Order: sequence, then C-alpha cells, then structure tokens
Amino acid sequence: MPDRVVVTGCGAITPLGLNVEDTWRNLIAGTSGIGYISLFDATDYKVKVAAEVKNFNPVDYLDATTARYTDRFSQFATAAGLQAIEAANLRIDDDNRYDIGILISSGVGGLGSLSRQLEILNTRGPSRVSPYLIPMMIADGASSQLSIRTGIRGQNLSLISACASGADALGMAYRMVKYGEARAMIAGGADAAIIPIGIAGFSQAGALSKNTNPEKASRPFDAERNGFVVGEGAAVLVLESLDYARSRGADILAEIVGYGATSDAFHVTQPLESGEAAAKAIEFALADLNHDEVDYINAHGTSTQLNDASETKAIKKVFGSKAYEIPISSIKSMLGHLMGAAGAIEALVCCKVISEGIIPPTINLEHPDPDCDLDYVPNKARTKNVRTAISNSFGFGGHNSVIAIRKYSEN
Amino acid sequence: MDAFEEVKKAICKVQPGLEESKIVPGALLKEDLDIDSLDMVEVALALEDVTGLSLPEEDLDGITTVGNIVSLIESKLKGKDA
Repeated sequence: MPDRVVVTGCGAITPLGLNVEDTWRNLIAGTSGIGYISLFDATDYKVKVAAEVKNFNPVDYLDATTARYTDRFSQFATAAGLQAIEAANLRIDDDNRYDIGILISSGVGGLGSLSRQLEILNTRGPSRVSPYLIPMMIADGASSQLSIRTGIRGQNLSLISACASGADALGMAYRMVKYGEARAMIAGGADAAIIPIGIAGFSQAGALSKNTNPEKASRPFDAERNGFVVGEGAAVLVLESLDYARSRGADILAEIVGYGATSDAFHVTQPLESGEAAAKAIEFALADLNHDEVDYINAHGTSTQLNDASETKAIKKVFGSKAYEIPISSIKSMLGHLMGAAGAIEALVCCKVISEGIIPPTINLEHPDPDCDLDYVPNKARTKNVRTAISNSFGFGGHNSVIAIRKYSEN
Repeated sequence: MDAFEEVKKAICKVQPGLEESKIVPGALLKEDLDIDSLDMVEVALALEDVTGLSLPEEDLDGITTVGNIVSLIESKLKGKDA
C-alpha cells in the first residue's frame, strides 16, 4: 500500500526575498523582482534585465571556506534546504539519517564556475585551473553540499530536465516516499545562470525578452510578450510520508497527490504547438483525482509567444469548457524564470496558495491575446479557497512535468 | 620576500575562516589548519601568483606542515636567484 506524501517544510532564496515569507508577501503584492543586470557588465548584450537574488550572504549558511569553493547555485540550494529542514522541525540524528534522502535538481549546475575556470585554462594553462572546479561545476554539487551540511545519509542525487528540473525533483522525490524508498526527501531545485555565457546562450536561442524596462519585461499571456527573463534562486521542500509526519508531530502544509511527466518528442527548444504532450502530463498528474477539484493552476507561463499559447491549449484540452473557470497565474511575471528552481518555487507557492487562500497574480497582463483567453488572474492577487492546485513545468527538449497538490485532510 | 608571510597570506586566502595566530611553522596542515589536498593545490596556486614560481603537484608530495611549504618556497627562490 503506497504511503500518502505530505509537505512539512519549505525554504526559498528568490529575487523577491531570502526566505519563503518575504517571497510570498511580495508575490501577493504583485511586486516585480526584475531589474537591470548587475552581476556582470551587460553593456554589449541585447538582453539588459534579469531577476537577481539581492543581498544574499552565503556565510549565513556555510562556513567561509566552504562558501568560497561552492558555486552560487549550490549556495542557494544549501540555504533553501536548511530553511526547509528547520521549518519542518526535522532533526537529523542516528535514528533517521539513512531514511532521509536529498534530490536537488539544477538546469545548468555550476556553469558560472565552469566558465570562469575555462577562461583561466585558456589564458594561463591547465596547471592553473582550480582543484575545486569539478565539485563546483557538477549539477549534483548542491545535493551533495546539503548532505554534507546536514548529515543526511540516505540517497543523495540530482536530476536534470532543463526548466522542468525542479518539478521533476519533487515528482521523483514524491514517488520515492510514496513507494517506501525513503521516509522523507529534501527536494527542490536551484540555478544561478545570470552569467555572461548563460545570458548569451539563451539570448541567441531567441528565448529571452529584450524589453529594457525591467518591471515590464516578463508579461506571460500578454499579447506583447516577447520572451522570458532569466531569474536565479532555489526552492526546497521537505516531503515525507504521512505516517512519519504524524509520528513526529509535524505540521502538515499540504499533500502531494499526483505527478505526471511526458515528452514532446518534437524540438530542442520549442514546445509542441498543440500542447498535446503537456496535456497528457496534466492528465497523468490528475489520474487519482477528480478534475472538478482543481481550483488553481500555477502555469509554466514563461512569457514566450510559443509557451503561453501552447500551455493554454493544453489546459483547454484537459479541462474543456471548465478551463475558463479555473484561475491560472504565472509567478514568472514577478520572479522571472528560475530555471531549474522554477518548478520547485512554483510548487511551493501552490502550497502557500492552498494554506493561505490567496492566489498571486500574473502581472503585466495588459493586452489580451486571443490565443490566451483564460483567467490568468491579471495584475491583482485574488482570495479563493483552493482545494487542489496543479503546477505546470516545461523545459527545453520537450519536458512536461506536472505536480498536483491538495489541501491536507486526515481522510 | 618573507616566505613565511607569503605562505600565511596564501593559507588565509584559501581558508578565510581561519585564525591567523594558528598559522605557525610547526602547524600541521590537515590536523591543525583543515587544509585538505584540494586546498593545498589552491595554496600552491596562490603562492605561484605572488612568487612567480612554478609549484607542480610533485613538489607538494610529503608536505605536511606550514614550515615545509616555507622551506620549499625558500629553496625554490634560491634556485631562481642562482
């Protein structure tokens, strides 16, 4: 008999705050976390804006030496992970350390560290490359760092599915707990790709907004949307079996009740226009649920022409005429696209929507697009009792991953 | 060039949390200063920057104390002058 899986703690480092509460408060206020790029000189770049994490000090979470040799994405993940474990009141000791696992995903891992060392390699030669390059660069560096920092000795791994990585980390962690592979999983995603090679790469792929007004650049579902805005950060959730949560008297924030994932089998960057495979992922996530229970959809909503139109089609395919009655919002309008952390922060926000009864808006939705004609909660948060929410996440390469989250009730 | 001072600075750069007073010639790198094999390569890279010397991996074999690094630098500097 599979276990029920509940969420008992969350942590976040985002462009809108260095914890969950600040991020949430800013989201429901409709605040944009996007500004001009300050992490490097973007004078020669067509893209001028990004959603940077502000005032983060890694030494708040790691000793100074470790911080120095840890990529920014791993620093974010460690911080969010420690916050989540503390919020869940989960004590790691000899009685449980092998029963708890870690699955932190990342879209691009330590690309920043790699690009800096590559420059050293090319200008000064191989014997000048840092011995820390490999541990800083590898995408599982974040989960390993969190394991070292916490003493968690269950399985420690990462997975990569582009911008669906964060959702897939939660989905796979959900399965591990559901089928008894772990009593608890510390799961989420992290990325820090606001670096020259990251911005140049996504920009050349035609994916980024070239809008020079930071607060207006990310405009999901708006007719004038013209690309996404790169964000950075991390979000981590503590998932555990209901039995374990009850046995230790943990507060339960929400229950994860479904996970569906499919592949477009179509293109390396573009989504399947019909939304067919994305719709299938939603259907799989809702396999054990009644569609009428879904009161909120946290959209992938990147602010690209293609995503927002095909995602809208996918939602209509699944829900039919009821699609028009379900509030949908894209927090990427405010946070930018947190890449490998996006699915994790968006699932986290679904937990908050359920517990607080408030839906954050899609800001900058000013010009209706006939291809995007659903209720995207434009510009202003909305109060609503949400029983079940789904979080859509899609990624380059055709990944479609959907998590279904329900208000916890004992029965 | 005061080799000991340069070694001290390099160690502080690699281990920013370390109390400087612990860095004495007799200090054991691993046990007293928490300098592991990766840190040792970083210390060598930092010393290469300030001394202009080349400190390949094989030179670091058998080094266990701060004093060992100082001696290595001093002998290499002498060789350079000669």
